[in-house]
Amino acid sequence: MTVVRLTLREAANRKVLIVGAVVSVAFLVLFWLGFSIAFNSIESPSDPTDPAVGATIMTVLGLYAVQFLAAFMAVLLASGAVAPEIDSGRLHAILARPLSRTSWLAQRAGTFAMLAACYIALMSGAILLIAASIAGYGAIAPWRGVALLALEVIVLVALGTALSVRFSALAAGVIVIALYGAAWIGGIMDIVGTALDNITLQRISTGVSLVIPSDALWRGASYYLQSPAFLIAARVEADTGNPFAGNAPPSGLFVAWAIAYGTTWWLLADRWFRRRDL
Amino acid sequence: MTSPTEEAIGGNGAIPIAATGLSKSYRDRKVLDEVDLRVDPGQVVGLLGPNGAGKTTTVKALLGMVHLDAGDATVLGRPVGDPAARRALGYLPEKFQYPDWLDGRQVLEAHARLIGIAADVRDNAIADALRLVGLAGRGDDRVSGYSKGMQQRLGLATAILGRPALVVLDEPTSALDPIGRREVRDLIRTMRDRGTAVLLNSHLLGEVEQVCDHVVILHRGRIVHSGSLADLAAGVEVRVTLDRLNEEALAVLGGFGRIAARDANTVLLALDDAAAVPALASALVTRGHGLQALVPLHRSLEDVFVDLVGPIGDGEAL
Repeated sequence: MTVVRLTLREAANRKVLIVGAVVSVAFLVLFWLGFSIAFNSIESPSDPTDPAVGATIMTVLGLYAVQFLAAFMAVLLASGAVAPEIDSGRLHAILARPLSRTSWLAQRAGTFAMLAACYIALMSGAILLIAASIAGYGAIAPWRGVALLALEVIVLVALGTALSVRFSALAAGVIVIALYGAAWIGGIMDIVGTALDNITLQRISTGVSLVIPSDALWRGASYYLQSPAFLIAARVEADTGNPFAGNAPPSGLFVAWAIAYGTTWWLLADRWFRRRDL
Repeated sequence: MTSPTEEAIGGNGAIPIAATGLSKSYRDRKVLDEVDLRVDPGQVVGLLGPNGAGKTTTVKALLGMVHLDAGDATVLGRPVGDPAARRALGYLPEKFQYPDWLDGRQVLEAHARLIGIAADVRDNAIADALRLVGLAGRGDDRVSGYSKGMQQRLGLATAILGRPALVVLDEPTSALDPIGRREVRDLIRTMRDRGTAVLLNSHLLGEVEQVCDHVVILHRGRIVHSGSLADLAAGVEVRVTLDRLNEEALAVLGGFGRIAARDANTVLLALDDAAAVPALASALVTRGHGLQALVPLHRSLEDVFVDLVGPIGDGEAL
């Protein structure tokens, strides 16, 4: 547990935690302000589902922003997990101790994964609480949604860590962010493909989600984080939908794939790290 | 009675380092070629060589950081790569850097936990290490405020923390001033007196000469000498000046050693046996060669070293 302790101390002393906390509180205050002003302006809805629709769209957008922040935090932490430690020589002093490489990597990357997962759980919990207190918002299955979001950042940490064993922090970060962007485009293609009933676009999107499941995990999570009233309205009226969110729960097969995907990157990270000359 | 911190982390009497045939190539370049190395308990062994000779690679291979292409090595009785081999081992890397967001004591505390020093003796062990490297009183300062020399001292403190059975020091004085260098030499002697085996990696001949019992000279990944310092300096050179340097005189001289250089009536003779100077004088005189001068020349370790590794090529420096 010494490496976990050292990694947490590093995050604390490098101002990752404090800056993250300040920015996050500012974000939550902004969300609370925007949400309450917008929700209170829906005074006499022409349709009784309007408040639920408005609340859902705003909540999902807030959660999307949280997911985006957490994903970047995961990528930035993980992409610098290994290479800078080797380049600086800090790692050599530690690995000369009776500590296996696997243990060091598991503790270090595990700490980053835990930080990112805790961050997303706390932040999405806060968003849901704000929405509940102002608009009485209730999501379909908040725990499932948050669990899928946590899975998303853990997968990104595994990918970033693996690349950080092979590449510099900068290169690893750029690659993961590029993949994250590609996943986002894949998600848009899925929405457009569904709207236009275009099977090719949908297939490409599925392919992208297999290569990098981050956005598909978000869409799966967002389904559970919407209010039931909103989804019913969305089914009734085709024009009521959220372009950022999913309209269907993720398949069990896809969730299994995402877990296998993260595990594979983790195993690769470990294998590459054990074989590498330091 | 010994205090708890004075008890070394035992090596269980195992041979600190026993390595044979270590070989390693990076692409086509051989960086280690059949290197044998042995360090016995309480012995101080100097690994000497110009930059790029393979010293650091050897050390990293012994610590399991570099994977070998061939060769067998055990550290404190365990195969390299096995974390247990590093249980009673302290290491100062050549490129040392410690987390600058911690203070010196916190760095040592993390290392103490990693080597399993019990909580009740940890503070004493840390204070002991800080004192020995001259950082007493600076343990609560952040590493970010340390000079390069202080960081190297902190690295030495982590290496000697808990009194390990084997300490591996890779260029331990590279960032130190002359006084610091002397202190490190004293520290190495103190460790030897306590029975700690030391592998000292250095390109500084003086450093090795003053503290090592045994020297291994590495050049282009190969061992060019392995032995005691006395062995290394054993070949004494003498300058012999005669009235006339004829074939017969040369034959007599050749019987005592190798003629390294000659001019009209003087030769530089590398004696096979340092004790043969009187016998040489008497042989020359009895055979009627007018002996003008016979001067034994002291060969410094540097002379020997330069003889062994030859001219320093590109990318190498002493």
